[in-house]
Amino acid sequence: MQQTVLKVEGLNKWFKDKQVLHDISFEVYKGEIMAILGPNGAGKSTTIRNIMGIIYPDEGTVTFNNQKEIPRHKIGYLPEERGLYKNVKVMDILLYLAELKDYPLDKAKQRALHYLQKFGLEGKENASVEELSKGMGQKVQFIASVIHEPELLILDEPFSGLDPVSQEIFKEEIRSLAQKGTAILLSSHQMNLVEELADRLFMIHRGRKVIYGPMNEVKRQYANFKCTIRGTYHSARLERLPDVERVEEEEGAVVLYLSKTVQPALWLKQLPDDLVIEELTIDRISLHEIFIDIATDRNQLAEEGVVHA
Amino acid sequence: MRNALKVAKWEFRRNIKNKSFLIGLFLTPIIFLAFMFFGSLFDDSAESEGETTRVFIHDQLGLYDTLAETVEQHQLNWEVHLTDLDEEAVREEVQYSEHTAYLFVDQRALEDSIIPVYTSESISPHFMSQVQVLEAPLKAWQMKQLGLSDEELALISAGIQFQETSADQLVEEGEKATELDDSLVDSILERAVSGIAAGIVLLSIVFSGMYIFQSASQEKKDKVAEIILSSITPGELMQGKIIGYFLLGMVQAVVFLGFALGIALWKLDANILQYLFVPELILFLLIAVLGYFLFAALFVGVGATMADVTTSGNFQGLVFMLPFLPFIFIGPIINDPSGLIAKIGSFIPFSSPGVLLLRLSLLEEWPWVEIIIALAILVISIVIMMKLAGKIFKTGILLYGKNATPKEIWKWIRA
Repeated sequence: MQQTVLKVEGLNKWFKDKQVLHDISFEVYKGEIMAILGPNGAGKSTTIRNIMGIIYPDEGTVTFNNQKEIPRHKIGYLPEERGLYKNVKVMDILLYLAELKDYPLDKAKQRALHYLQKFGLEGKENASVEELSKGMGQKVQFIASVIHEPELLILDEPFSGLDPVSQEIFKEEIRSLAQKGTAILLSSHQMNLVEELADRLFMIHRGRKVIYGPMNEVKRQYANFKCTIRGTYHSARLERLPDVERVEEEEGAVVLYLSKTVQPALWLKQLPDDLVIEELTIDRISLHEIFIDIATDRNQLAEEGVVHA
Repeated sequence: MRNALKVAKWEFRRNIKNKSFLIGLFLTPIIFLAFMFFGSLFDDSAESEGETTRVFIHDQLGLYDTLAETVEQHQLNWEVHLTDLDEEAVREEVQYSEHTAYLFVDQRALEDSIIPVYTSESISPHFMSQVQVLEAPLKAWQMKQLGLSDEELALISAGIQFQETSADQLVEEGEKATELDDSLVDSILERAVSGIAAGIVLLSIVFSGMYIFQSASQEKKDKVAEIILSSITPGELMQGKIIGYFLLGMVQAVVFLGFALGIALWKLDANILQYLFVPELILFLLIAVLGYFLFAALFVGVGATMADVTTSGNFQGLVFMLPFLPFIFIGPIINDPSGLIAKIGSFIPFSSPGVLLLRLSLLEEWPWVEIIIALAILVISIVIMMKLAGKIFKTGILLYGKNATPKEIWKWIRA
């Protein structure tokens, strides 16, 4: 049985007359990476701020290791709206933030140096924050959020504004933290990264839960197979094949969206013999596509998800 | 409270290491000093411009010594000499000389009350008024020649004085009699010196209160607030800022006072230290500190509503002017330190610290009832202001990218 670190139950929040969170419930287990996904304004940051006690929910509870009181020094938090004091040294601000978490300063200093080195910021500890590039600043903020060895780490859009190299570094670090037992709650709208990282996900749209479950299950349930064929074909004939729900043509390629019950091996055998294939791929619809479908209300999925959930 | 002290320590260290703060810390008193120095420079040059006037006296009445003595007593910038030149020669002489004057003290003084004066080119413009000081000894001599006794002389030369006795004075007469000696000067100095010192303290901590304003708004601009608030409560952050900047203000005050004391000891002969450390100082400092807390709460709250100091709206600008409110009262208070306007000023929380300091420095008898009422109003205002600021700060500090309107602020306060 997995150990529940964070439990969110029945969060409701109104801003003026507008309800921004509708009955949000989820859990984060020890050593797992749990992702909150959703388009801009879906309520991700609001949910996280409720957890952090920066704003208070109108209804619902947040418990940490079954306690109502949230021990702030056991939580690391990287907010979406983030920055650092200018005019101060990198080491000074890291130590200050560690001090606010009641973390021993000598240990904090060691960890800070260790992380600076890990993130390629060796020798920057005495640099002023102003001198850092945006990416470097983000790295320092990340260090600040993990310097006190939190049990629960909440990362709100950790990858925004990062170059691919830095993204990789962050991804690796997040994974290794989870392996060491940190419970991680991650919010993002970069689906490919989430798809790679997260063990479980919670998709939120307009303040409501859309999908919640382990990544594989979600994919199995919502991500049907699609077959992409590059070559010479008659789209009309392909459309008449069994289990094809939708056909989309992109430059020189056709994408066949297959039904949920399709058996890929059997289905492939039914392809016409005269089909000239230059390239053929069959895979599941990516999380990215599911996300776009939901965000743009193009698919039935959104409502379906609510009903099934 | 422990967290608030951590914040205070951080804010203090962060600023004390900051170059612009350090420059401001020492530059302001140095600028003051520089102005004083330049001022005295101009003073000196004005004096040196007035060159010594050589005054030759053609004395036929034997009054030279008396006149020279009078000149000495009035410290006139004169060189006095006797001369034998007659008026014809003098007429010639003044054509070719500078800074020179000739006085003819002879029979004409007694008979016509006239002393002919011949002045050369470029004589000091003040000379003709300076020369009037010689009137008294000449008049005395003239009357003596007319046969008046010394008593009669004293009576006449004393002139007539109009002595006023108002109703107030009749009441106070009893007390006053004892005070009309050196102790009066002492007590004025005593209150003034410690009052001025407390004024400097108030001013420098109100200025550092303005740093809070900037700091709260900078916190939003740098978007660092949410990171901090994941560790501590908004209340702790606010208290920490207020305490931290209070300490910075005290540093500023100490530096300021150090400069002021140095100058005072150098320029004035009086023993300032003796007048500075008096019991009154405690009350003055209390008023100054209360004033700080009032403005600190105001500024930290309003600062949290602003995205950027440079884009402050009218509302925020108005708040910024509040510390200068006491200046409106300065004129009326100096005219009448216990008048109606002075009283009103002491009871308005935002002007009360400044007005109280000014009044108490001027007044001999402290109106204790008024002081206590004013302090009570001040303390209550501080408590209310801190509460309001806490509410505004909590919401405002997380509102990014725009200034809050007064309507929004009102909503937060009621929430």
